[in-house]
Amino acid sequence: MPVIQTLYDAILNGNAKAAKEITQTSLASGVNPQALVDDTMIPAMNEVGRRYEANEYFVPELLIAARAMKASLELIRPLLSARGSEPVGRVVIGTVQGDLHDIGKNLVGAMLEGAGFEVIDLGVDVSPEKFINAAKEKHATLVALSALLTTTMHSMKGVVEKLNESGMRPGVKVMIGGAPVTQKYADEIGADGYSSNANAAVALARRLVAA
Amino acid sequence: MTPKERWRAIFEGERPDRIPTDYWATDEVTARLLRDLGCSTTEELYTRLHIDGLVTIDPPRSDEHKAGNPGADLWGLRRRLVGYEGGSYDEFDNHPLAHMTCVDELDAYAWPSADDHDYDAFRDMLSRAPAHRMIRSGNFEPFLLYCAMRGLEQAMMDLAAEPDFVTAALDHMFGYYFALAERTFEEGKGRIGVTYIAEDLGGQTSLLMSLPQIRRFFLPNQKKMADLARSYGIHVFYHTDGAVRPVIPDLLDVTGIELLNPIQWRCPGMEREGLVRDFGKRVVFHGAMDNQQTLPFGSAGDVRREVLQNIEIFRSARWVCAPCHNLQPVTPTLNIVTMYDTIHEYGAL
Repeated sequence: MPVIQTLYDAILNGNAKAAKEITQTSLASGVNPQALVDDTMIPAMNEVGRRYEANEYFVPELLIAARAMKASLELIRPLLSARGSEPVGRVVIGTVQGDLHDIGKNLVGAMLEGAGFEVIDLGVDVSPEKFINAAKEKHATLVALSALLTTTMHSMKGVVEKLNESGMRPGVKVMIGGAPVTQKYADEIGADGYSSNANAAVALARRLVAA
Repeated sequence: MTPKERWRAIFEGERPDRIPTDYWATDEVTARLLRDLGCSTTEELYTRLHIDGLVTIDPPRSDEHKAGNPGADLWGLRRRLVGYEGGSYDEFDNHPLAHMTCVDELDAYAWPSADDHDYDAFRDMLSRAPAHRMIRSGNFEPFLLYCAMRGLEQAMMDLAAEPDFVTAALDHMFGYYFALAERTFEEGKGRIGVTYIAEDLGGQTSLLMSLPQIRRFFLPNQKKMADLARSYGIHVFYHTDGAVRPVIPDLLDVTGIELLNPIQWRCPGMEREGLVRDFGKRVVFHGAMDNQQTLPFGSAGDVRREVLQNIEIFRSARWVCAPCHNLQPVTPTLNIVTMYDTIHEYGAL
């Protein structure tokens, strides 16, 4: 199916109202919802990510694009579920215990959603037990952990350890991110990957679920 | 030289007797340092560690609750304590501008007034301030406040989607801060050495918002605040976290900053050598002791090496040795003491 240019542009420009209206019209005219996601929405969010990496887009543009994408996705998601469509992967995401900072986590979550993942957002200040339980219950393929503070990032280690104990690994992969977090730290605690920004997180998640 | 003379010298392009030092830490860290080093006051701690710390004094403001909003501050914000292992942070608990959709609603909001402050008490506090320390007054960081009042994500989206709304809100805040600064600087004439202007413009890898957004929403009001300070002979301390290399020329040329904090040199573009090469003649560098890896998780040897490295890198420029933002409870006392002992041992100019 060709790209629906108006929807593509609405997402790129962060116009949630237009994105919603175009999605409604398209669905009403019988467009395949999966094709809408695969051929228009994912390419649009890929372009948003590319512009972010190229310093053409910044956090405000990323957020409004994600808002537009979500407005469209909300209409499409029930139709996909009804058809039994499987997402690219299921991600349980959250900010670790003691940490309330969520903008980075939300951006990663939105970009993953825009790439066709199902995202289960546990919010902020999430205990290791909560991550493990959600991963088990939702049959997650990925657990994504965020932390802003040097004082809270070490909760990530606890989550990895508990996941190891639960026997869900290596089926469930762990990816981490946040200001003080590094690849070195990911290696140290046995996480499967680290990314420094929301766009790179999508590439990493794709790689991890394909592995 | 006294700490105050050292600050004055570095701001005014003269050579202080040694590299000045400053101190930023959470309350938990300060309490632990006092205990570990057997000091009973911050002044004693500063003396023990040879810290040229500033003394911050502002006209105290009324903490009376806003009508119908118990527990809120003058902005209508409530806070709650959120604990983490080893300490706690105050986090905002409400966003009083979150529900608003138009400028009329903003205009009708109960904004605070510079009259809400006690300038008699301020004069009294100034008269009791230690003569050997430089006094810092004024704190202008309106977008941070806007993020708290609006909610961080909505505030960020407003920069792209609601420019008139964000401009109107920032103008309300500016009106208050400018009037407050005028009264503060007038009352503290000749006593205040430095004022603080800030806005977090950078993330870990790039600017948070675009240069055109920064130029449109932040810089014009920052310039007015900086110009006001300078008209009183008060120096301009500027804080912005993160990877902010692309905006430094604007901060120098438009805002007119004199000091840049905190120099997170591990962020792309913030490499110290490049900053010294490109801006070293025009700005004082403040911070540059890495607070994400070296200070919290490095060894005392790593800390010592970083101090010595900074002394070399900043040799042809002006540098104030300080941690990049607040020292956190995960930072060992030994690392903190090593930082200040090393700069004391090798920091003579």
